[in-house]
Amino acid sequence: MGKLIAIIRREYLERVRTKWFVIATLLGPIMFFLVTALPVFLTAGTKATAESSNITVIDATGAELGPRVVAALSVGSGVKPALITVAPTESAAAETTATQAVLSRQREGYLILDSRTMLGTKARYTGRNSTTFRDMNRVGRAIDKAVLGQRLERAGIEVSTIDSIMRVDVALDKTQLSEEGRAQSGAGNRVVGLIVAFLLYMVLIIYGQTVLRSVIEEKATRVAEVVISSVRPEILLAGKIIGIGGVAITQFAVWILGSFWIGTNVVPMIMKSKAVGMSAAAADSVTRSNEVLTSLPTLSIGLVLIPVVFFVLGFIFYSCLYAAVGSTVNSESEAQQAATPVVMLLVLSAVFIQPVAFAPQSTAAIVMSLLPVSAPIVMPMRMSLVSVPAWQLAVSILGMLLACLAAIWFSARIYRVGLLMYGKRPTLRELFKWLRYS
Amino acid sequence: MSELAIDIRGVTKRYAEHVAVENLSLQVPRGAVYGLLGPNGAGKTTTIRMILDIIAPDDGSILLFGKRHTDAGVLDRVGYLPEERGLYKKMKVREVLKFLAELKGVPGADAETRIATWMERMSLRTPEKDWGDSKVDELSRGMQQKVQFIGTLLHDPELVILDEPFSGLDPINAQALKDTVVDLKARGRTVIFSTHIMDNAEKLCDAVCIIAHGRKVLDGAVSDVKAAHAGRTVAVAFDGAPTAAVDAVLRNRALISSMDDQIRYLELELADGASSSDLLQRLVSAGASVQRFERVQPSLHRIFLEKVGATGVEAGMSGHG
Repeated sequence: MGKLIAIIRREYLERVRTKWFVIATLLGPIMFFLVTALPVFLTAGTKATAESSNITVIDATGAELGPRVVAALSVGSGVKPALITVAPTESAAAETTATQAVLSRQREGYLILDSRTMLGTKARYTGRNSTTFRDMNRVGRAIDKAVLGQRLERAGIEVSTIDSIMRVDVALDKTQLSEEGRAQSGAGNRVVGLIVAFLLYMVLIIYGQTVLRSVIEEKATRVAEVVISSVRPEILLAGKIIGIGGVAITQFAVWILGSFWIGTNVVPMIMKSKAVGMSAAAADSVTRSNEVLTSLPTLSIGLVLIPVVFFVLGFIFYSCLYAAVGSTVNSESEAQQAATPVVMLLVLSAVFIQPVAFAPQSTAAIVMSLLPVSAPIVMPMRMSLVSVPAWQLAVSILGMLLACLAAIWFSARIYRVGLLMYGKRPTLRELFKWLRYS
Repeated sequence: MSELAIDIRGVTKRYAEHVAVENLSLQVPRGAVYGLLGPNGAGKTTTIRMILDIIAPDDGSILLFGKRHTDAGVLDRVGYLPEERGLYKKMKVREVLKFLAELKGVPGADAETRIATWMERMSLRTPEKDWGDSKVDELSRGMQQKVQFIGTLLHDPELVILDEPFSGLDPINAQALKDTVVDLKARGRTVIFSTHIMDNAEKLCDAVCIIAHGRKVLDGAVSDVKAAHAGRTVAVAFDGAPTAAVDAVLRNRALISSMDDQIRYLELELADGASSSDLLQRLVSAGASVQRFERVQPSLHRIFLEKVGATGVEAGMSGHG
């Protein structure tokens, strides 16, 4: 037992102490921060708001709609649109002047309000940024607000109450309902499911390769023989897998907790500061990012525990296979080729991540979540999307347990023999012979 | 308490294409320095690996200190230096040694004091430089070999097994190893080492076992082995080149079974039934001008060649002995 612990400690400490590990571990939450916060910065950036305000408003309504639009567009941008009030018949001349302003780059574009705008049906915008969605969305909302405000005022409602009436910003919680079942909270959980599946795939492939390299290192430096003269190869293999698995869990714990902390503390703080005086369009995109973020804290214990269970089982399974491969080769370059079948099994599961995310109850998705090779990636993702029947979960975990036992049996035998074999790589037939050596 | 450090009986190891070790029995008394001799591919490394439970024999039994070698804690009393040596390259020397000690059941604090003593003894820690904090791959090859010795001996094993310990050693480390073996013997430890360099075996060993093709050819105390072969070897030197008549005598298979030209003299092995006086008489009557005629103690090297023969050397399997 003391020897197993010595091996686990060596495998763990030698990796955790490296600069690479520290950097990669700290980069995780920073990446998460960038991925979640960057879109907010981009959509909430003041430059975009300023552009959509830096326009000429031609008011040909004859009903004082122009000043309202200008006021709505001025909010939170610091740039005031130019206003030209003309009679309906003179709008063509005003348009020529506004066109000049755009071509001389004084203004981004011009907006023409006419009688149809008053009816609430049409307004016309021409400008350099006419294809920019967030700018156009903002201009459109400003017009809506102006028309609505004017109508309310004409209906005799007091100006002070109009403001409070119009201050509406409903956050829509979207829940998907279909024949395939009820997705707990739509987009948020799909993102969670994809992240979980992708993280599992990454950790299995990265740390499986680490086991592979570790086995090859011991074999290539010939230190393996000294070690297995003191402990049984099975103990060395177990210690290696537990130690490296511990490194993976450490790294992912930091990643997840760090991201969670940033998601719940830092990002909302930044968004709050940005949201003050933000345009409706930007506010909307913040709401959307928020929706994803706020669904993270709704992760139940099960949703955290299940991926851990599947990670542990999947890691044992794949790292055993990687270790077996590593013991049959002499160098890392040989290993890349020899490990291809194992990598293929993982890549196959990864290829199905997206299809399964969008059809988690399809037959293919169910089968993949039950097969031991793909279950560690697909099942946790399915579980975050839909409620998986208990029997499927049981079959999946049982299958994984059996697959792990088989992988341990298989790789311990290959490992034992392979560790002392140098020279030519064994053929499949020779590998079968190795399995029979006691 | 058993008087034998190693007691191997009827051990056999077969592989798909060949038999590595066949029905091998050997006994190593406690406190002895024992040589396992044989050409490459004779089965030396396989035998050593079976003693260490690295590979399992198909047949036979292996006892260490009177206990089965697979019993808990038995292998902790053994130190092993494999033929192919290596350490974790990126680890610090002190950490590697501590790890190796822990694998033999030495607790961490105890290991550290032992490491300090050994590092000084092997001059890996001097007032100017402490190599303990360096990574293994920052050390020269000779220093890495020293670290490997320390790793083998750190847990103060009662039995030390060295596989081809002299291969790849510079003269200074080879001397250090010899001194260490002598010191181990003085402290009552048992040492078994394999080699195909007979000189080393002859100087260091109390007893030897010669194996070839996985079978034991002979074993016993070095003095007994030599005595058993004494009187069969004759060193002869002539004045000038031997004449045709003398040559005919030397080629007589009924008199001489083998001949080894040492340039300054010939080392002759008498054939069964032939006597040295008979040979001398025949040489003189053939007109030879004998400068030297001496019955000599055969070297282990000579005995080895005679017993194993050129075929045994050439037929050695590639890879590990």
